[in-house]
Amino acid sequence: MTLNASERDRYSRHLLLPEIGLAGQERLKAAHVLVIGAGGLGSPASLYLAAAGVGTLGIVDHDRVELSNLQRQLLFDTASVGAGKAPAARARLQALNPDIDVVAHALQLDASNALDLLGRYDLVVDGSDRLATRYLVNDACVLLRRPLVSAAIHRFEGQAMTYVPDGGPCYRCLFPHSAEGMVANCAEAGVLGVLPGMLGALQATEAIKLILGIGAPLVGRLLTYDALAMQWREFRFARRADCAVCGAQPTIRSLQPGAANLAPERLRARLAHPDPDAAAPAVVDVREPREFALSHLAGAVNIPLGELPQRLSELPPDRPLVFVCRSGGRSRAACDIAVGAGRRDIMNLEGGMLAWARHVDPALEIAPYP
Amino acid sequence: MPTEAPTVVRVPSPLRSYTAGAAQVRAHGTTIAALLADLERRHAGMRFRIIDEQDRIRPHIRIFINHAEVTTLQQPLAAGDEVHLICALSGG
Repeated sequence: MTLNASERDRYSRHLLLPEIGLAGQERLKAAHVLVIGAGGLGSPASLYLAAAGVGTLGIVDHDRVELSNLQRQLLFDTASVGAGKAPAARARLQALNPDIDVVAHALQLDASNALDLLGRYDLVVDGSDRLATRYLVNDACVLLRRPLVSAAIHRFEGQAMTYVPDGGPCYRCLFPHSAEGMVANCAEAGVLGVLPGMLGALQATEAIKLILGIGAPLVGRLLTYDALAMQWREFRFARRADCAVCGAQPTIRSLQPGAANLAPERLRARLAHPDPDAAAPAVVDVREPREFALSHLAGAVNIPLGELPQRLSELPPDRPLVFVCRSGGRSRAACDIAVGAGRRDIMNLEGGMLAWARHVDPALEIAPYP
Repeated sequence: MPTEAPTVVRVPSPLRSYTAGAAQVRAHGTTIAALLADLERRHAGMRFRIIDEQDRIRPHIRIFINHAEVTTLQQPLAAGDEVHLICALSGG
């Protein structure tokens, strides 16, 4: 028996449940769970995981507490404003449950550290607020074979799903690649403060179920929540055979820094005033030749998207690359191809030539899609 | 003039700027493609947020008929079906 008298008292309501009991509570105590983000989702998720007695709880967040966080991020209080989120979360969670070990990871999760960090834990709860981080965490969990409970929120809506290795689909099976810039986060769109409370608690529930091996987790099931209609819905989705990370022939076998989006004005500035200490970016237009012939950026080379995999060797090896197309979709796919081939310093012209015409050169005529 | 009853389309909050804030709209169509064309007539600009220039569903959007995922725009619609547009959310 590994629970002392104080723990048996603390978890007495769990011990009464046949589905948990002493054996289940000991499994919780032995579990190592990592929560990505100490924000709207991470707050309730980590609070409930700590309360449940998860023995080792890691919290990842590089930010500092701001006043606007307190509308929904219940780990913090007014006195926390200005403090680092990860250490402040640790203090709060440790105060709630001194019997567990809370580890503060005050760092920015990225391709260089994600595998090492996530690899130290049994299960990951994703409460991040950027699509790029969601894909990074998903890919890392697939590569590491770690279960992942993912949720996201926007205004009055939320969604959640669970990935288990060798089981159901991953996040990329549902949303194959990022559309950064097309989906707003809380700071941009606003959010009902109590909304992440519902989804974060759901994430903790899923994590606890996975640790205990009970119930039916949200594998292959996307749960959506509409707070205004007070409606929950469930949608089933399947594992994709062509999924880039968990499919039959994955193209993502390691974590690579992804491509950044580059606004038209910033590209204009970089082309007009090149940094004397760095190589000028090479612009690669992946539209069809007749689109390119009508108008293109000065100095751009044309490699249609369909030919790019065979013509990667033509890309200058020692210059940053900016991929361009009509509206940003094909160029995003081109970025994925280049990143997958091991290229670094890749950028996508955000909104494509249409955005260039709108923000930089209104006189430019853009060819319709062929 | 279509004679079939319009299909209920559930709209995710990132797309409600096209529907004057409505979470649910109605449109006609016997296939997903036809439904999206009618949605575009009623809510200009909305189709391009869902479908790209190569007529593929955008990677951050999923379409469900009732609770099953749509895999082709030619997927037929039956009377009483509900179409759900699901958008990847990013907030945390």
